[in-house]
Amino acid sequence: MDDVNPVPLTFRFIAALALMVLLVPVLIVVLAGLNSGEYLTFPPEGFSLRWVENFFTSPTFLPAFKLSFGLALATTLISTVLGTLASIFLTRSASKAREFLRGLFFLPVVLPGVVLGLALYVFFIWTDVGLARSLAGLIIGHVLVTMPFVIATVTASLVDLDLSVEEAARSLGATPLQAFWKVTLPLITPGISAGSIFAFIVSFGQFELTLFLATPDLQTLPLAIYSSLRYAFEPTAAAAGIFAICLVTVSTLISTRLSNLKKLLSRR
Amino acid sequence: MTELTASPPDSPPVSGTRPAWLTPNLWWLVIPAILFILLFFLIPVLSLFASSFDKAMPGQITFQGNFSWDNYERIFTRSLYYTAIWRSVWIGAAVAAVCLVIGYPLAFIIARSLRPGIATLITILVLCSMQLDMVIRLYGLMVLMGDKGLINNGLIALGIISEPLPLMYNWVGVIVGLVQVTLPFMILSLIGSIRSINPALEEAARSLGSSRWHVMRTITWPLSLPGIYAGTLLVFALAISSYVVPALMGGWKVITLPIHIYQQIAEVGRWQFGAAVAAILFLTSLCAMALYIVALRRNAGGRV
Repeated sequence: MDDVNPVPLTFRFIAALALMVLLVPVLIVVLAGLNSGEYLTFPPEGFSLRWVENFFTSPTFLPAFKLSFGLALATTLISTVLGTLASIFLTRSASKAREFLRGLFFLPVVLPGVVLGLALYVFFIWTDVGLARSLAGLIIGHVLVTMPFVIATVTASLVDLDLSVEEAARSLGATPLQAFWKVTLPLITPGISAGSIFAFIVSFGQFELTLFLATPDLQTLPLAIYSSLRYAFEPTAAAAGIFAICLVTVSTLISTRLSNLKKLLSRR
Repeated sequence: MTELTASPPDSPPVSGTRPAWLTPNLWWLVIPAILFILLFFLIPVLSLFASSFDKAMPGQITFQGNFSWDNYERIFTRSLYYTAIWRSVWIGAAVAAVCLVIGYPLAFIIARSLRPGIATLITILVLCSMQLDMVIRLYGLMVLMGDKGLINNGLIALGIISEPLPLMYNWVGVIVGLVQVTLPFMILSLIGSIRSINPALEEAARSLGSSRWHVMRTITWPLSLPGIYAGTLLVFALAISSYVVPALMGGWKVITLPIHIYQQIAEVGRWQFGAAVAAILFLTSLCAMALYIVALRRNAGGRV
């Protein structure tokens, strides 16, 4: 705004500060992972790929990265299917239970992660069907906290959908299932993809919930980095972080392209 | 995370004009999700809270059915625990205030930028930093703020200080860490409500001779109150429930409620007592949410 009401200088200054608070820590991780010395000093000692190479032979960080990736994939698959089906109900049904159900589906992200992790852990031990400290248990927990993101994104794209296209298909003789499969589904695919990418990122970076559910041989990347931070600042952890940063940046770019960014923001 | 719950996407009211085939019995679509939530969310969480009324037996995890208020009595009679509640609350409030002060200008610039390219770029940067694994961001923050970190090293090298400043492993570190983690949620909550203010209102006031600050204080700020309430309470709720930030940035020296929960269970094995602390934590964030709804209604009542 450089006409009637320009942004005050103080505002620009504080805004720059806020951006620094958000971005400088990320920048430091990248620098620490590419720095040649053991500790990051200022100015950095020099550029080297030794920590990145270390990451690829690391007995802790590489398996942790793979586990987090696989866990996020499985979680995304399940929560996308469950969440998309539920979203169709939430936007199409005339039932009075809709609002209640919508609230119910969002509860898992309102509950503090530590509390949810603890509740699941105790439940898994009580029921004693082998879910405690298992990969399946971890996936269940992650599906709970990622499904709300799928539901939010997919319901948004279903609400925006022009129903007359589906009606046209129906009036031309398509069965409800055909009309949905051939007309509606392709139209909401960007929304579903954005929701599933969202779910993937949330699962990949999940820490608090995983804390109670993981075991020493089921270490996700956030947990592996956490334990290395409590005892030593291994630059290998920062190198692993660089890969996570790339993954998250690419996914965010794709998902913002898929779901209209402006609309996403005006909804908040 | 929870900002999605603050304003769920509104769906159109189901109209009677819609053909009957569009509103068939759709329950089978939602049943898998309901069963999942019931089995793996409602039952576990409710039984956890139920077990908080069980007598605490160290190492005993199964339900015994000895009803007692002991766990709650212990929380409210031992200063160790009730000061932790108080500590969590004031840290949460401080984090929300700092986020509001430093987040508002950035949200304003994104919402009001005449150059859409810049607004989009900043928004994407905010989104990326929000979605990146917290532990990775805390790594960067710890390298920056530690006793031998970049800030202290730089200041000592410049001769400004001789002893490292205590930036980490105390409440300063915890607040900075929580601000870093929750700031994007504040910014995203604010953008929508600032954008919904008609710029003509501000321009009118400006053209009638108000100063920029006066316009900001009397028009922009009051009209963006819904976003301010939403962001503040969301950040508060996220800040009091965080475990990883006080654990790393506070180095276990700043004991908040989530840290108590973990310690009670992982170190002492007092499951029932840990469950009671968890219930208190959940109630505190629920109170914040209830206050938020009351404030929002009162605000809308005065304006609309």
